[in-house]
Amino acid sequence: MSEATAHAAGHQHTAPTGFMRKYIFSVDHKVIGLQYYGLGLVAVLIGMVLSWLMRLHLGWSTLAIPGLEKLSPAGAPGNVMTPEYYLSLMTMHGTIMVFFVLTNAPFSGFGNYFLPIQVGAADMAFPRMNMMSFWVTLTSFLVLMAAFFVPGGPPLSGWTAYAPLSAVGQAAGPGQGLGQSLWGLSIAIFCVGQLLGSLNFIATTLDLRTKGMSLARLPFSTWAWFITSVIGLMAFAVLLPACILLILDRTAGTSFFIPAGLVINDQLQPHAGGSPLLWQHLFWFFGHPEVYIAILPAIGIVSHILPAFMRKPLLGPRVLVGCIASIGFLSYMVWGHHMFVSGMNPFSAILFSVPTLVITIPATIATLLWIGSVYGARIRFTTASLFCLGFVSVFISGGISGFFLAQPSIDTYLHATYFVVAHFHFVMGVAAIFAIFAGTYFWMPKMVGRMMNETLGKIHFWLTFVGVYCIFMPMHYLGLAGNVRRYAAFTDDFLAPLIPVHQFITIAALVTGAAQLIFVFNLIWSRFRGPKASDNPWEATSLEWSTATPPPFDNFGGKQLVVHQEAYLYGVEGASADYIMQTSPETVKTS
Amino acid sequence: MTTGESAQGPGMKFFVAVWIGLMCIVGIEVIVTYRHLPARQLLVWLLALAFLEAGIAVWYFMHLKYERAALVWSLLPALAFVVFMMDHIWPDAFRLMSMRLLSN
Amino acid sequence: MEVSAGHGHAGLMEESPYGIPSGKLAMWCFVLSDAVTFSAVLFAYGYLRVGSPDWSTPFVFVPSILNGLVMTFVLLTSGLTMLAAVEAAKAGRTAAGTRWLWATCVLGALFAAMHLMEWRHMIEEGWRLFQNPLGGAVQFGAAFFSVTGLHLLHVVGGVVALAIMALGLRSGKYNRIDVEITGIYWHFVDLVWMFVFPLIYLMNAK
Repeated sequence: MSEATAHAAGHQHTAPTGFMRKYIFSVDHKVIGLQYYGLGLVAVLIGMVLSWLMRLHLGWSTLAIPGLEKLSPAGAPGNVMTPEYYLSLMTMHGTIMVFFVLTNAPFSGFGNYFLPIQVGAADMAFPRMNMMSFWVTLTSFLVLMAAFFVPGGPPLSGWTAYAPLSAVGQAAGPGQGLGQSLWGLSIAIFCVGQLLGSLNFIATTLDLRTKGMSLARLPFSTWAWFITSVIGLMAFAVLLPACILLILDRTAGTSFFIPAGLVINDQLQPHAGGSPLLWQHLFWFFGHPEVYIAILPAIGIVSHILPAFMRKPLLGPRVLVGCIASIGFLSYMVWGHHMFVSGMNPFSAILFSVPTLVITIPATIATLLWIGSVYGARIRFTTASLFCLGFVSVFISGGISGFFLAQPSIDTYLHATYFVVAHFHFVMGVAAIFAIFAGTYFWMPKMVGRMMNETLGKIHFWLTFVGVYCIFMPMHYLGLAGNVRRYAAFTDDFLAPLIPVHQFITIAALVTGAAQLIFVFNLIWSRFRGPKASDNPWEATSLEWSTATPPPFDNFGGKQLVVHQEAYLYGVEGASADYIMQTSPETVKTS
Repeated sequence: MTTGESAQGPGMKFFVAVWIGLMCIVGIEVIVTYRHLPARQLLVWLLALAFLEAGIAVWYFMHLKYERAALVWSLLPALAFVVFMMDHIWPDAFRLMSMRLLSN
Repeated sequence: MEVSAGHGHAGLMEESPYGIPSGKLAMWCFVLSDAVTFSAVLFAYGYLRVGSPDWSTPFVFVPSILNGLVMTFVLLTSGLTMLAAVEAAKAGRTAAGTRWLWATCVLGALFAAMHLMEWRHMIEEGWRLFQNPLGGAVQFGAAFFSVTGLHLLHVVGGVVALAIMALGLRSGKYNRIDVEITGIYWHFVDLVWMFVFPLIYLMNAK
């Protein structure tokens, strides 16, 4: 902590010189945001490749995948995946995607870049701590990746790492030795990075707003980042000790999560007195707020982008913020719906089911606000707006399955089937990713100073939109038919007729995955060869568009902005243009 | 740096009095412990005293009394809510007894 | 570099809703988060204790409870010296503030030392994370060492921070607000002990 002296115009630190200070160990929130985004990009590509490997094996379980034996001789002898290795790849897929893509890109990535700018600040409240939080997160990622290369390979207990499988150590199978310990360590480190990030977001939102930027005038994206950081502050605080206790069970001989009398592979485990259910309670106490940490920034980003392309404000802006806040609050009350069939007290099931159904209300209200706003609007169809509209579609598709899963009686049948896989992939794996895409197409011009190619973008959108429906819609059917999840192959008689469906899904997944390469190409090509972007190519109102493209080191060139307007004044009658920027002092006579 | 900083908080004499009070509470905790109460009753007493102690420490030692009400209402209800939600795990803990493997 | 929060520097920024410097707000948020962490650990302890039919209560008054009482006294007193440091720093009496910070640091180190000695005593008696020499639930050792260990980690971190703060206050690197922020952390460490002592020690008194 250094002196907290009063500077007249916010930060007066000078621009850094030298490659290391500018691009590697930078305290500039914009660089840090791009570093997080870059990490997310690397992670999503790895996670996507893992999903291809999984899908290939599910469609054709005896398939020899070239090169797989190189990655893991024990896991894929003769290039054919063993069931254990399938579970390992599945575990890493889930862990990488949930933590390093979904918690990372829309929140740490875009949030770091744009939150200070959207509130009118020169940087985050604690720039050095911000830098530290990125390097902590990167360390966490590297520790996790190391699990691929250690003896035994990655863990196979799922991203949920249920005890006792995850707690007993090597006895439980390949990857459950060093691999699982690295997982636990990685996630514990990740919690620390997130905590530091949350502190920065909260302090910046509350304390560094420029004159005129009242809380009511904050853009939706800022509200979402702020509320998400409050949720994260308390959620990651529970995952951290859970991981520590897990590591103790694995390495120090404790039995927090391991009961007595457990025999694995004919070996009686030297543990007694613990409770696997305790791990589930601790994990899901974090895990449920976590999925809202993944979706709320996405909701904020989409709500922020849509008005610019509808040229009218969203209906019910304060209601929307209220919805985001109430989803955040309720997210702490529903974790038991992951545990309906765990042997948890069945009366607790009611206590969790009711809030789960209640939480659908603000989500539905938000959806109706989007739909109601889009209705009658003259939409500018750009890739960014298409992904926002696509977000609404997949959010509904994914949300509806949630209504069913929220009820213990139905969930008893659907739990751990592909119905659940469909649900969370639609809301997290598709909707949140669509928001990241929307944010990328919308904000990339501001971040790098060049427009992305719209034609390629639209091809990317349509291929992806159709593709994800082809991938995940059939999974609902599979789940209802009884197709269990987390199986490497389907050898039961009743599952055999479903294998062609899996094969269809696999092909769809590979095609959709290939379509993402269009995005990656567009990203890289536009960075260097795209047309130069103006300061406000979308004619948008919020503060990021009031500054140069890309923004200077201290965001506003030493100026202290004054905000006069709310965030989404598009299509105001009587105004001089079809939008009024937040910094504009224009007053419009309302009729 | 809030306005009226020098007016914030009483002097050391007061804090010494609070300190003595806190040690008294600890003393009561010890006395209650050796009253040979059933475990559940002891727990209730100790938790109540611990929360009282903590409340005094937060209010005076950590100066929360002298901060704006908004800060109090932001922090304390959040913690209370989280702790309240964690209490949902107790039914499963109590059931553990009847689910235990009979060893030996 | 931190920016001091919202009393709207010459009206150039919006006022912070809490009216405290950002560093202080961040420390309160950290305290909230850490309180949730300790709550989770204590809940886990309670969960396993409630479910264990053979829970041990090994703490005899002498030496365990008495030792715990002395440790409590030391930590509470360090809270008092911390307050003195904050008051001195606020009044601009840097030298006095530095001395009180060192006093707090020393008391914290004393607490940590006493704790480690207690650990050594228990380990000598046969207690481990996974072992109960009295033949009762092994979870006792697990709970005891993990809860007190987590707390001890925070104490040691605090002792280091106090030393850095004492040196920095004297050199002018840190100011009164930094001292206050450190104080909030240090009082939090004491706060956690106010739950650890009754729940881990007194609830397990013989």
